[in-house]
Amino acid sequence: MHAVVMDRLEEFLADALNPAAQREVEAHLTSCDACREEIRSMQEVSQLFLSLRTEEPLVPALGLYARVIEQVSERKAVPSVANVFGLGFAFGRQLIFASLLTLAVLGSYLVVRESGYTAGPSPEAVMAQQESPSFDSAPAQDNMLVTMTAYEH
Amino acid sequence: MGTLVGTLTLPTFGSKVASKTRVDYQNTPEGALVQRAQAGEEAAFREIVERYQSKVFSIIHGIVRQRNDVEDIAQQVFAKVYLSLKSFDFRSSLITWIYKITVNECFDYLRKRKVRKLVYESDLSEDEVRRVENSEPAVDRQIPADSSLAQRDYVLKLLTRVSEEERMLLMLKEVEGFSVEELAEKTGMNENTIKVKLFRARQKLVKAAQRLDRTPGLVPG
Repeated sequence: MHAVVMDRLEEFLADALNPAAQREVEAHLTSCDACREEIRSMQEVSQLFLSLRTEEPLVPALGLYARVIEQVSERKAVPSVANVFGLGFAFGRQLIFASLLTLAVLGSYLVVRESGYTAGPSPEAVMAQQESPSFDSAPAQDNMLVTMTAYEH
Repeated sequence: MGTLVGTLTLPTFGSKVASKTRVDYQNTPEGALVQRAQAGEEAAFREIVERYQSKVFSIIHGIVRQRNDVEDIAQQVFAKVYLSLKSFDFRSSLITWIYKITVNECFDYLRKRKVRKLVYESDLSEDEVRRVENSEPAVDRQIPADSSLAQRDYVLKLLTRVSEEERMLLMLKEVEGFSVEELAEKTGMNENTIKVKLFRARQKLVKAAQRLDRTPGLVPG
C-alpha cells in the first residue's frame, strides 16, 4: 500500500478525513489498483466489527463485588499436596528429604549385598567346558532320562 | 493485495510525528485508586469493580452474546484483575488494561466452549450429533440464520488469527470507536506505533479471510 493511503488509513476507514485529504486519497485510489483492492478488503472486514457493538446496555446484577471476592478466596484456597495432608511447607520439605535419604541408603545396601555373592563361572566358560573332549556328559543324560520317566508317571 | 507492502518500507506515518506527551496514569485520581487497591484496601477494589462493571458487561455481551454467561465471565475478569493488580504498571489506563483482560477472557471462553462441544460430540453417534445440532440455539450453529450473528461469528474467527494486543487495538478502534490519538493516550504507545500495529493487524485479518476461503464480501448482511 502506498504511503499516501497508508498514512491516513485509520481516518479513511473511520470516515473521519478532512475533505482535502479525502480527495487526495480518493484520487490515488482511482489510479492505483493494488491500493484500491486492499482498501476495499479492509473496509469489508472493518464493517464486520459492527456486529460486535451492543445497542442495549446490560445492567449488572447486584452483588458482583461480593461474588468476585468469593471467587478470589476459592482460587486462593486451592489446596497444594502438602496442605492436603495438613503439613506445613517446611515439614513437607523435610519429609521429602528424609524419604530420598532412606531410598539412597536402601539402594546402597542392595548394591553392596549383590556384589557380595561369589561369582560362578561365566556362560562362555561353561560352554567351553561342555565342548571340550574331556567333558563327560553321561551324568547329564542320566538326569534327563530320570526326569522324563518321572513325567510319564 | 498486500503485495506492495513487502517492497515498500513500512509506513513512517512521518508527516505528523506524535507530539503528545504520555499520560502519567500513576498521578491521576484513578492512579491513586489503583495504588490503594494494590496496597490491599478492599474498598478501593470495590470501587474499581463498581466503576467498570457496566463496561465489562457490555464488552462481554458484545462478544459472546450469551446473557447467562456474561455474569460468570465478568466474575472471572474481576477475579483476574484482583489477583494481578499488583503487576499493573500504569503504562496504560486502568480501563485499557481491564479491556484487554476482558477480551482475552471472552476468547478463552469461546475456545473452551468449542472444545467442550467437540468432546461432547465425539462421544455421540452421527445421528445423535445431527439431532443435537438441530435442537441447539441459532447462535451455536455453524451457519447462523441471523446475518448479524453470522458476521459476529465470522469476525470472531478472524480475530483468533491476530495477537492479543492486535485484537485489543482493533476492538478499541472498531467497536469502541476510539481515534488513533485516543488509543495512543489510553495505551501509552505513540500514534505511529498504533497506526503500524493496526495496519499489520488489518492485513492479517484480510489474509485470514482469504485463507478461510470466504471473502468478506460473501458474508451475508
